[in-house]
Amino acid sequence: MKKSFISAILAGVAFTTFGQEKVKYVEYDLPNGLHVILHEEHATPIVAVSIMYHVGSKNENPDRTGFAHFFEHLLFEGSTNIKRGEYSELVEKNGGALNANTSQDRTYYYELLPSNQLELGLWLESERLLHAKVDQTGVETQREVVKEEKRQRVDNQPYGSFMENMFRLAYKNHPYNWVPIGSMEHLDAAQEIDYVNFYRTFYVPSNAVLSIAGDINIEQTKKWIDKYFASIPSGQAINLFRDFENLSDADFMTKYGVEKKHFDANNFMNPKDAKAKALVQKYTAMKNEIPRPQPIFEPINGIVRDTVYDNIQLPAVMMGYKFPKETDKDFAALEMLNAVLSGSTSSRMNKNIVEKKQQAIAAFSFAFNMEDPGMGLVAAIASNGTDVKALEQSLDEEIALIQKELISVEEFEKIRNQFENQIVTSNSSVAGIAENLAQNRMYFGSTELINKQMERYMSVTREDIQRVAQKYLTQQNRIILYYLPKAN
Amino acid sequence: MKKLITLIALTAITGVYGQVDRSVRPTAGTAPVINIKDSEVFKTSNGITVVLSENHKLPRVSFNMVMGSSPRIEGDKAGVNQMMGQLIMSGTNTRQKDALDKEIDYMGATLTADGSSVYMSCLTKHMDNGLSLMQDVLINPSFPESEFTRIKKQMESALLSAKASPDEMAANAERKVNFPGHPNADVMNESSLASITREDIVKNYQSVFTPNGAYLVIVGDITKENAMKLAEKYFGNWKGTTVYKQDFGTGLQPKGNRVIFVNKPGAVQSVISISFPVNMIPGDKDQIPLTVLNSIFGGGAFGARLMQNLREDKAYTYGCYSDLQVTRDGSWLSTNGSFRNDVTDSAITQLLYEFKRITEGYVTDEELNLAKQSMAGGFGRSLESPQTIARFALNIIRNNLAADYYQNYLKRLDAVTKEDVLTMAQTYFTKGFNIVVVGNESVLEKIKQFDTDGVIEKLDAFGEPVKDMKPADISADDLLQKHVNAVSMTTNAKALTKKLKKVKSVKKSMDLTSAQMPMTITMTDVFMAPNKEATKLEGMGMTFQSSYYDGTAGAETNMQTGKKAMTDAEIAAKKKSEGLIPEMNFKKGGMQYELKGIETINGKDYYVLFCNDGETEMINYYDKTTFLKYKSVSIRKNDGETMEITVIFDDYKEVNGFLFAHKLSQSIGEMSLSGEVKSIEFNGTIDPNMFK
Repeated sequence: MKKSFISAILAGVAFTTFGQEKVKYVEYDLPNGLHVILHEEHATPIVAVSIMYHVGSKNENPDRTGFAHFFEHLLFEGSTNIKRGEYSELVEKNGGALNANTSQDRTYYYELLPSNQLELGLWLESERLLHAKVDQTGVETQREVVKEEKRQRVDNQPYGSFMENMFRLAYKNHPYNWVPIGSMEHLDAAQEIDYVNFYRTFYVPSNAVLSIAGDINIEQTKKWIDKYFASIPSGQAINLFRDFENLSDADFMTKYGVEKKHFDANNFMNPKDAKAKALVQKYTAMKNEIPRPQPIFEPINGIVRDTVYDNIQLPAVMMGYKFPKETDKDFAALEMLNAVLSGSTSSRMNKNIVEKKQQAIAAFSFAFNMEDPGMGLVAAIASNGTDVKALEQSLDEEIALIQKELISVEEFEKIRNQFENQIVTSNSSVAGIAENLAQNRMYFGSTELINKQMERYMSVTREDIQRVAQKYLTQQNRIILYYLPKAN
Repeated sequence: MKKLITLIALTAITGVYGQVDRSVRPTAGTAPVINIKDSEVFKTSNGITVVLSENHKLPRVSFNMVMGSSPRIEGDKAGVNQMMGQLIMSGTNTRQKDALDKEIDYMGATLTADGSSVYMSCLTKHMDNGLSLMQDVLINPSFPESEFTRIKKQMESALLSAKASPDEMAANAERKVNFPGHPNADVMNESSLASITREDIVKNYQSVFTPNGAYLVIVGDITKENAMKLAEKYFGNWKGTTVYKQDFGTGLQPKGNRVIFVNKPGAVQSVISISFPVNMIPGDKDQIPLTVLNSIFGGGAFGARLMQNLREDKAYTYGCYSDLQVTRDGSWLSTNGSFRNDVTDSAITQLLYEFKRITEGYVTDEELNLAKQSMAGGFGRSLESPQTIARFALNIIRNNLAADYYQNYLKRLDAVTKEDVLTMAQTYFTKGFNIVVVGNESVLEKIKQFDTDGVIEKLDAFGEPVKDMKPADISADDLLQKHVNAVSMTTNAKALTKKLKKVKSVKKSMDLTSAQMPMTITMTDVFMAPNKEATKLEGMGMTFQSSYYDGTAGAETNMQTGKKAMTDAEIAAKKKSEGLIPEMNFKKGGMQYELKGIETINGKDYYVLFCNDGETEMINYYDKTTFLKYKSVSIRKNDGETMEITVIFDDYKEVNGFLFAHKLSQSIGEMSLSGEVKSIEFNGTIDPNMFK
């Protein structure tokens, strides 16, 4: 019964082409460098307004780690025109919802609003970009929040430090050496000026993608974008404007040699005074240099072993491998490889190591999707009484098997079904579309890739999966981390 | 030349874009019109009404088969439909549960069910296979005996945790008092669950699941032609009983205010719910303005009146909300919040004040706008889910709403004025209220004043009337003595002493299972004469928790928090109940205790003994005929939080001349466990590590 059912599905699948619904959009650059992507669809009267900033923990100074993530919190403190605490309140009062997140490579902010509040969303995000409140009061408030977050998500979580340890061992020169949550000591040691400088460097229009999806009128949206975003000064003039707002008359004069009174906050770019005008033009012409690390590939030489003693009951084995960057042609095959190994009840590591051998209570494998050459993990948490060595051996056997033999046709079809479902679902909400558009543009340099996902995954063959297993899950070059219970 | 043009272009751009007064906040545009397509409605040959909402945005499709019968009054089988709903996915005549699960996973599809519907969604290309599974579950469920037993056990545990949850207790009372003689008042309890048989489940299925009167709601990537074909193919041959229609009325509007009290011994907070039935079905012309009123009064937004008054201004509570439920079979409005014991009466006063105030004047423009905007926002966001569209389509057809009801929802919401809101308040908020208080008996006197006739009704955790306790016919000391004799199967003190002398140690092993836990926990209980004891909880090779007391000191070790030594106060308290039979030492040890009387539970009489060792308050129930312990409720207070543990003892059997309960049900907070004794060993070897 079971068998005939599954072959029936396989037969059906063989004749179906994997079409993907096309996501339509327009995109353009503002003169100040802000990249704009607009997706119009009227199915639901809501709109997702988002900005992705091309700054993550990899852009941080090694002795000021945790800054990118810290800003994700700090930039809800308000702006010149938004009172402290009012940012979230304004969104909620107007029927919206909001959130933000940070990775090694980018920081992402979004609001989900009723479509007749689009202008509010644009104003809010433009306020955050132009002149957010970056001051001591906000820093102190948010520092406590971030510390609480670290306690909850890292320190208090069993195995919570694995990412930190893995990346520390895998990267010596590249700033993936540390993770987004960063160091609390660094945050404590930082002065107000460090925060201000981070804002001035990375929070500039040319370092951001404004992605809007939902029930919008493109022409009207463009007008509002012109009003709120095109009015944001280009180049270093944005920081000239920030100084104009923040410095005293005397300090501004000392720094720039022009009196503040010659400028108008509402029409900053067009002062009447000739000297002021020259100053604006000079700073507009000065580029914003964004420090970016070299995307170097650092191989792991040999087998690097380490042991971490943690507040845990059950030991764990974690093996780290160097994977390519997300944009690499092999990445899709690696993700499918991971799905064969783990992630569903019938996946190999779950069936063999967890259920049959009962050596582990959980086993998983996954790839970090990163802009620069990244990492993959194969790991398991031992069941009681299982020797970590034996567990390591079982994990190795699974890897050896998938390197030696092609996966079965049935397994292959199941994985394809799973990915197909996932890709279709990823564009089912306007929030998802806004983020996917921005992410493809920022990482891959091509917004259009949003429409190539199905092709990308469905073109992976069984042979590809075997090949990437051989190429990247290298027996002789990897990190092997043991997590062992701390003695009381 | 080219450069110059660029420069001019740039200057022009800065000129145009430069001017903006950012301190001016954008205002909202006009409320958008929603693009909900009209649904297609047609019938299958056997009379199922099919509602089709085509949407080709994504290659996904969903099918929801909803039964058309009215709910039935279940009475002493309360909960039977709920249980049937949980069991319908447990296997069919041709597929065991595992096979069913596997086939669904292979397609990445979703298949779920409850007591009156079955739902399936999948990618369009898997539609045929998905429908054949859905058809099988809908038409051929097998209700296997083993699954029936498993689910019943799970529900027993759920009832135990319901007893520990003051919010559930309040909700149960609310249903009983607002809807007497109505299916809404069917609350599952221990005896109704016990009386449900597999045959009841099968009968319930046969009477509820029938194509007559049923609706099939199809949403997504499918054409009308195909939908008609598939609905007929998979469901057109289905046969069943006639549809059941019954009007149970709209609930009982109280005359004046009624105070209903549900006792929760040791509670440090009172859960207060003020509610009344509302005569309304979905789509009623008053529904939108009344929802706006509710939102201003106590809806989710932070600025709502109840929250402003009771939390922000008075600090009586962390949160206080009101909720309007509009259904086809009974609608009601209720406020809910937890309040410190000593402000229970003040909180009710303020709640009633707010109910009155909103009938006496207009709400402010700001209040009205906030309510309308946040409702519009939530409505808009909900539309992204195809399930919402399906629900709307069904509501339109079942309630005879205008086809554009939801299409124009935002417009109608926008049109609500403060005059409308006042009218709603004056229409609905001016009758009597049912004031339910779940809390400690100490608040009882203070809440009498709110009852119009001064008589408080008392209900139990499941909303059944409580009879007052009868006075005890023996003294507390007699009870303790009789209990000790009963447990030790002796008749006098001398025999007891002799018997106890022979006991060096007792080791008891028990298996604990819980619906909320994926594994079995082994509990080992050790007693060593004269007064040492230790406990260990293990599972999956881990020790979750262990504790010991050696007569002078002790400690508790917890997997998460590590080892913690007993404090002096804890040791002093423990001394009052140490020994093989704790009651033996009550008097000598200085335990405070008081025999409150005799309570009747499920037709049986129990002595109720209140005890306090200085750390923990306990309420023990002893069987009036056997003197064995039936139940023990312990309440421990920690930094203003209370932790309640209820243990029910059952299946007493003799081991080595002593009676031991071999079955236990235990609930700790919202968690419930069932325990079964696996072995009891006298005078064996005891692992000394247990006392470390």
